[in-house]
Amino acid sequence: MSEKFTSLLENIDRRRVLKGGLAAGATALMPGFIGRAKAKTPGLVVFGLSSYPPGFKPWENKGTASTTVKVQRYRGLLGYGADGQPRSELAESWKVLAGDKFQFNLRKNAYFHNGEKVTSADVKATYEAMAAKDSTARLRSRMASIKMIETPDEHTVIITLNDPDVTFIDIAASPHCGIVSGKALAADPNDFVGAGPYVISNIERGSRIEMEAFDKYYKPGYPKTKKLRFDAFKDENLRVAALEAGDVDIIEYLPWQAMDSVGKNDRLKMDVVNGPFMYVTFNCGKGPFADVRLRQAVGYAIKRSDVIAAAFFGRGNELGGVPLQKSSLFYDEKYQDRWTYDPAKAKALMAEAGHPNGFSATLLSTAQYGMHKNTAEVVQQNLAAIGINVQLNLPDWAKRVALGNQGQYDFSIMGSAGDFNDPDALTKFYDGSLSTSYARSVGFEGKRISELFATARQEADMAKRKAMYAELQQLALDEAPIIPINWRAQGYAYQSYLSGFTNIPGFLTFFSGMVIENIEIG
Amino acid sequence: MWRYIVRRVLIALALVFVVTTIIFLVIHIIPGDPAMLLLSGGGVDPSPEAVAALRKRLGLDLPLWTQYVDYVASVLQGDFGTSFQDDYPVGEEIAKRLPRTLELIVAATLISIITGVPLGILAALRHGKVVDRTLALGAGLMLSVPVFVTGTLMVLLFAQTLRWVPAGGFVTFSRDPLQHLVFLAMPAATIAIGFSAAIFRMTRTTVLETLQRDWVRTARAKGLPGNVVIRRHVVRNALAPVATVIGLHMGTLLGGTVLVEYVFNWPGLSGFLVVAVENRDYPEVQGIVLVISFLFIMLNLLVDLLYSVLDPRIRLE
Repeated sequence: MSEKFTSLLENIDRRRVLKGGLAAGATALMPGFIGRAKAKTPGLVVFGLSSYPPGFKPWENKGTASTTVKVQRYRGLLGYGADGQPRSELAESWKVLAGDKFQFNLRKNAYFHNGEKVTSADVKATYEAMAAKDSTARLRSRMASIKMIETPDEHTVIITLNDPDVTFIDIAASPHCGIVSGKALAADPNDFVGAGPYVISNIERGSRIEMEAFDKYYKPGYPKTKKLRFDAFKDENLRVAALEAGDVDIIEYLPWQAMDSVGKNDRLKMDVVNGPFMYVTFNCGKGPFADVRLRQAVGYAIKRSDVIAAAFFGRGNELGGVPLQKSSLFYDEKYQDRWTYDPAKAKALMAEAGHPNGFSATLLSTAQYGMHKNTAEVVQQNLAAIGINVQLNLPDWAKRVALGNQGQYDFSIMGSAGDFNDPDALTKFYDGSLSTSYARSVGFEGKRISELFATARQEADMAKRKAMYAELQQLALDEAPIIPINWRAQGYAYQSYLSGFTNIPGFLTFFSGMVIENIEIG
Repeated sequence: MWRYIVRRVLIALALVFVVTTIIFLVIHIIPGDPAMLLLSGGGVDPSPEAVAALRKRLGLDLPLWTQYVDYVASVLQGDFGTSFQDDYPVGEEIAKRLPRTLELIVAATLISIITGVPLGILAALRHGKVVDRTLALGAGLMLSVPVFVTGTLMVLLFAQTLRWVPAGGFVTFSRDPLQHLVFLAMPAATIAIGFSAAIFRMTRTTVLETLQRDWVRTARAKGLPGNVVIRRHVVRNALAPVATVIGLHMGTLLGGTVLVEYVFNWPGLSGFLVVAVENRDYPEVQGIVLVISFLFIMLNLLVDLLYSVLDPRIRLE
């Protein structure tokens, strides 16, 4: 240390410190000292993801962020439009030949990113790889139900199923059914070459993915924006801050607490739909909730408005029946208001079940996600009011999933959405014949419900399907394998100068990445 | 001296091995199946066949001891394996992330030393005066405010309100040096707030203690100029404990910048570790913890050696 420095230290006094502080402050306050953060850039859309995608493989479901990115690389035979209806993608048209037979006519101008033409052989290779025994494809079981894939010519695919399935069109439209190059796949089973609107130009693993428009994309004039960049913001507050600061053009998973401020901000727009829903699953095989009356008591004891206020900042809607959207052809008001807040009825059911003075149970949720934890806390309070002593078990998400899959809980808080908007998507929550999963109750048999799902899936006659789902909804309420709580508002927010984006309604909200090709700036 | 160094190095290597084994066992014992998690994104329910197929592909169906032997053998060859998430080589990812965290730590440490040491000396020299009291009060405040609060406030002020800097993010130095430094500024400053206060306090205390020493009085009595006394006889003797604090604090930051990395979206090693644990990505967790503990142990070794240089009595003991 120099003598000059030591001398300087000795001569520092209050005035000098104050002067120095003021000078530093003035320097920092000079406009343009660092340079304002960039706002809109013509030809580039910056999308704020809720996390860095854990992978981009076309057939696995690794969450919303992953789906949003992968649908830019891969497209299926069909997709979903902004209205939530199946739309043409690699197949320019399709025809239902019979309940178990479907014909898809491929576009003649569709190319993979390696320059090869998309042919019927690629569709066959893709679906067969998805159905393979060691496949980890999300829709493997649905692909495994394909009996035969015929390719009469390069542009025609005829698919025959083992059994009729009216939801097959939805399966073909799923973002987890991207068609890949058969030749590339044959050369390397991990080489997935897609035909989506964008190709990856650069990856900064953990933080950023940059894409450029694919010049041979099959829709003329699309994608509207030539460059697309995904920046990952795991912290939801930072994601909103980045949007408000103009660092990004659009964000997913708009946090509920920010919806008010974003709604009032003239520079921003938001698009919110009721997508996923929160619900309670039970251990129906053992413990107190093996008794359906106690499951029903929980249904009546939860004050849903409290959950929405505490866990979702008032953003959502009460769900006191079967989770079907009003827009569904199978929606019926009489199956929607069963679980009203009625502590007296809940107590009566408990008394009837032999627990007039209440009982104790453990509620599994997770401390990793605020909405799950807060929902559990409100449910705990609501149930305490009718005499149920609830112990919370709040491990991290990984452990919560493991405990759920092992059935090691009395009841649990869960939030999810179906794979499509058809009521068949509810199998995930109500079908007890499926394997044990944290997404549904453990130990629930409900044979009639399983039968109805299986037969309704095969039934093409709408009137008959409606009757089946009416019976199924009634059983879902009476047997209460799960107790729905509320619809969760699921939002995207974007700069007002951005156009072309739509949050796809219902369960399909998580597939909204499919409409990114419509986005443009200016 | 050499004997001392060899002994310290051997202890350090043994510690690294123990840590490696412990983290392997702990991550495998805690509940949570990586294969199930990988296929359960968005609350989906994967089929048992798909989970079994993935477990086999990831080698999770092998006995634990086989996995351990394979892991140790790979590490000894410098191979940390590949991520369960996307098959990306863990070693490569650590090699990319570690410099970012180190850069953050070094930048924060530099800011902290530049502010903390001179202000600590100043406060000690002005002991009991207004400057001392004001600085001590400020340091107390800076130490008591958590980094996620200061970080969030900085984002609110500089990004959202003033819109001077981006809210957070990262770009490589080679791609855009200026933007890289802009991204680095806020997280480094956030860490430095608490760190500089810790350095300030330690410097102030040790300088004050040293000022009371006999040799300082003797030096002054000999008629040495005040600045020479401070520089040669006070500051030099007072800085050894400060170096220890800096070393330990830097070591802690190796795994402790997680909140700052999270708040500012800085893709460093700490945030990487948290996500790896959340995903039960065993190769990533094992690789990161091994590297962090290795660095921490080496940093402590360095401080020990530095200490023995600054104070020869240490090595003689």
